[in-house]
Amino acid sequence: MKPAPFTYHAPASLERAFALLDEHGYDAKPLAGGQSLVPAMNFRLAQPAVLIDLNRLDRLAGIEPTDAGGLRIGAMTRQRALERDPRVARVAPLLAQALPHIAHPQIRNRGTLGGSLAHADPASELPAVMLGLGARLRLGGSRGERWLPAQEFFLGLFSTALEPGELLLEIEIPAAAPGSGWAFEEAARRHGDFALAGVAAGARLDADGRCRETTVVLFGVGEGPVPVPGAAAALAGRRPSAQRIAEAAEVVRSSLDPPGDIHASPAYRRRLAAVLTRRALTRAFDAAGKASA
Amino acid sequence: MIVKGEHAFSGRPELVWALLLDPEVIAKAMPGTRELALTAPNRYEGRMVVTIGPVTAAEFALVIMLEELAPPRRFVMRVDGNGRFGFTRGTARVELAANDGGTMMRYEADLQVGGKIAAVGQRLLDVVSRTLLRAGLAALGKELEHRLGDGDRP
Repeated sequence: MKPAPFTYHAPASLERAFALLDEHGYDAKPLAGGQSLVPAMNFRLAQPAVLIDLNRLDRLAGIEPTDAGGLRIGAMTRQRALERDPRVARVAPLLAQALPHIAHPQIRNRGTLGGSLAHADPASELPAVMLGLGARLRLGGSRGERWLPAQEFFLGLFSTALEPGELLLEIEIPAAAPGSGWAFEEAARRHGDFALAGVAAGARLDADGRCRETTVVLFGVGEGPVPVPGAAAALAGRRPSAQRIAEAAEVVRSSLDPPGDIHASPAYRRRLAAVLTRRALTRAFDAAGKASA
Repeated sequence: MIVKGEHAFSGRPELVWALLLDPEVIAKAMPGTRELALTAPNRYEGRMVVTIGPVTAAEFALVIMLEELAPPRRFVMRVDGNGRFGFTRGTARVELAANDGGTMMRYEADLQVGGKIAAVGQRLLDVVSRTLLRAGLAALGKELEHRLGDGDRP
């Protein structure tokens, strides 16, 4: 199908993009990689009157190391560029592991990090990864800029803290603490389909090999990324054994209230989330053990 | 799709009953309702515009019928929505019981959603219906608080 008629703007500067957003308000949609918006427009589910194409804003794309050893990633950076960047693999292995799960290479060639985060699909990988990594997001509009931690950015189903007239500009990923390990797991009916459930996990051990920090963030099981702090509490201060990891996975199973659809019932999703959590934590602790050795 | 649950209100059942049958309140409780009027006894008609994520302004013509009314304990609500993007039909059973000076509402709805919105958005129907339901219950609770605040306390 073809989209409903719309007016197209491709501003060459951020200031012009902000002005267009202010002028058109709710009638306007920013266009990043277009891998969710354009299909929705072609189905005519989305019928924005005005499209503001961000693809000419070169300043919004790129990967830069920070002084503190982290990364600053422009919102318009393509997912494929992240996947191929050795600095991403080194500084944010969780992100590097997650990227190949996102749809297909053709989609990642166009799809952007910021576009996926601003869209906030409940089954998408990147919001969970940003929570897992403790990323910060820079938002801006004609009235100024602000930084938000990832957990304050995602408000629910397709909804974020972005105000009308604001754009997501940049994502800052902190340097991983020494001795940390990461793992990403996802299950979909076919590779590239929307995840039935998935998990982003991080772990860090102290000098005695006890659990110092654990992060478990699920996706595809609610309205957005779902952190499960209870899973970390089940492991805190203890040596991670198969038994204790299974206990943490059980916390995930019992704390989730996932939706059901034709592909998976809520009970199946809970069980799947627990299995994926167990696998991810096992790998994350393994990696943390090697990193601290 | 079955949607069921329970919700505690702070007012007594008579008050909650009056709330649930007031077209102005129903319009507030169903997110996106643009107009809703009582067109015949126990029959409401109106228009609803749902905006969720990339779906902008899916407009539905809405008919709500109330049946098997047993004030202030239970009623059955039939909902029929039709729009360019698809349709929704459903029957909800609602029961009210006095509970600790307040009211416990139990509801169970069987909803069918069809057309384009169901074909494209199948994986999201459950989570969307929960989101709308929660917003609706929050709006009902707020309205009730408002009325209680006006000196209508039990």
